Amino acid sequence: MRVLVVGAGLAGLTAADDLAAAGVDTTVLEARGRVGGRTHGIEVAPGVWADAGAAYLGDRHTELHKTLAELGLSTHPTTMDGSSRFALGSRDDTRDGRFPPLNAVALGQMFDLLDELTATVRLDAPWLTPEAERWDSLTAAQWAEQHLHHPDARLFFPLFLGEMMAADPATVSMLHVALYLRSGGGISYLNAFEGGAQQDRVHGGAQQICERLAARLGARIRLNLPVRAIHQDARAVTVHADGETFRCDALVVAVPPLLAGAIDYRPGLPAPRATEATGRGCAVKVQLVYPTPQWRDRGLSGWSVSSTGPLLSTVDDSPPDGEVGVLTGFVTGAEAYRFAALPAGAQRTQVLSQVARLFPYLPAPIGLHISDWVSEQYSRGCYAAVFGPHDWLRLGPRLATAHGRVHWAGTETSTEYFGLMEGAIRSGHRAAMEVLSSYESVGRKR
Amino acid sequence: MNVDGVTALFARVLDDPEVTAESDFFGLGGDSLLATRVLSAVAREYGVELTFDEFLLAPTPATLAKTIASAAR
Repeated sequence: MRVLVVGAGLAGLTAADDLAAAGVDTTVLEARGRVGGRTHGIEVAPGVWADAGAAYLGDRHTELHKTLAELGLSTHPTTMDGSSRFALGSRDDTRDGRFPPLNAVALGQMFDLLDELTATVRLDAPWLTPEAERWDSLTAAQWAEQHLHHPDARLFFPLFLGEMMAADPATVSMLHVALYLRSGGGISYLNAFEGGAQQDRVHGGAQQICERLAARLGARIRLNLPVRAIHQDARAVTVHADGETFRCDALVVAVPPLLAGAIDYRPGLPAPRATEATGRGCAVKVQLVYPTPQWRDRGLSGWSVSSTGPLLSTVDDSPPDGEVGVLTGFVTGAEAYRFAALPAGAQRTQVLSQVARLFPYLPAPIGLHISDWVSEQYSRGCYAAVFGPHDWLRLGPRLATAHGRVHWAGTETSTEYFGLMEGAIRSGHRAAMEVLSSYESVGRKR
Repeated sequence: MNVDGVTALFARVLDDPEVTAESDFFGLGGDSLLATRVLSAVAREYGVELTFDEFLLAPTPATLAKTIASAAR
């Protein structure tokens, strides 16, 4: 029994690791020259790594914690002490804590409405949610137009969606918003640092999870082999990658829906992996490196929220020993598309001038790294695919349903912690289990 | 003053039945997002719009009930 896994991100490597551990002849085909997918480390100073991709985790991310423990990796808390900076509308404020200088009742009413909608979503089958058709035909921008009346709520809503799920309100389905928020543990858990989904980071960077899984899998991993076609008959699957053809008994496709949808399948899929409405997660992550986290000397946490870009929020991402200061900025939502289209020089200039306004006393950074996930050929967006109108009804029922010998993994195939590292790992375990239980001979033919 | 009503409101938002009149919202795991939901409920139930900073100064049901009462006057 031979199994191929397409994609060496968290989902694919988790599946491959489970299969290899069960004695299955496993090979992983990865399009890039590296493993990790939407986790990626940047060495911001000698031996100091920052997360250019997925970074945060919380206590509820139990499968991720199991994997970390098994791989000998540790976590450290995200620092969030001190005052925040806000540039919202024409105002400039420095305030204690994280709460923006906006009308609290208006934001509360917005969160009440979101929470109410979120609570109706059926996690086992989002497409069977009461009034699914209505919610899935509405964009978040249309919902906001109908339900948010206070200017502060209208200002904050796109920032919240960008921050939470890297979505542009104009293109995301409201059912997807509700699913994402429910799947991640609700708006409060997803939004929180301490006690929430941003509580901790992986010490030394989240890319190490994939690197250590890859080290265990060794020569089973083949890099620089983008898969173009997957053809199956009753007995086997033939996989055409660039320059090489592979045969296997079963296959796990563990790449984002937009990439999975671009592969040629024969026989064809009964439902698409992505539609013209399916969007890329709109996120560009920017890391500014300083000799020390100097904002702390001014009583600032490094947290900022701005209503104009490019950096709609910033957060202190310094390593715990404070050997360098790392300020991470997020360019999300519609702003990410605008920013990603700029030449590199203009991107740097805009970032530096905004940081100079937010943190005027900081010296020029000693490093500036821009990770454009929107344009990334082999991710097509980050944090995760953003499902547009009608996507959940069209794609949802078959997202995790095997197509003959082709099985699916990836954070978008998990309605638990969709879009997060936790969802990716859960999907990898699920896909491996599916393969192991679907083919009786798996454990015996080695 | 409606201390019992505000206590029940805290318990609902925090999903914690153990809240008493002297419980500190932020000490019980309340954060700024949940605080806005207390304030929207206060607006709905008592017809009083408080600011986030007013809530920070009166973070227990007993003190918040006083703030609501004086704002309602």
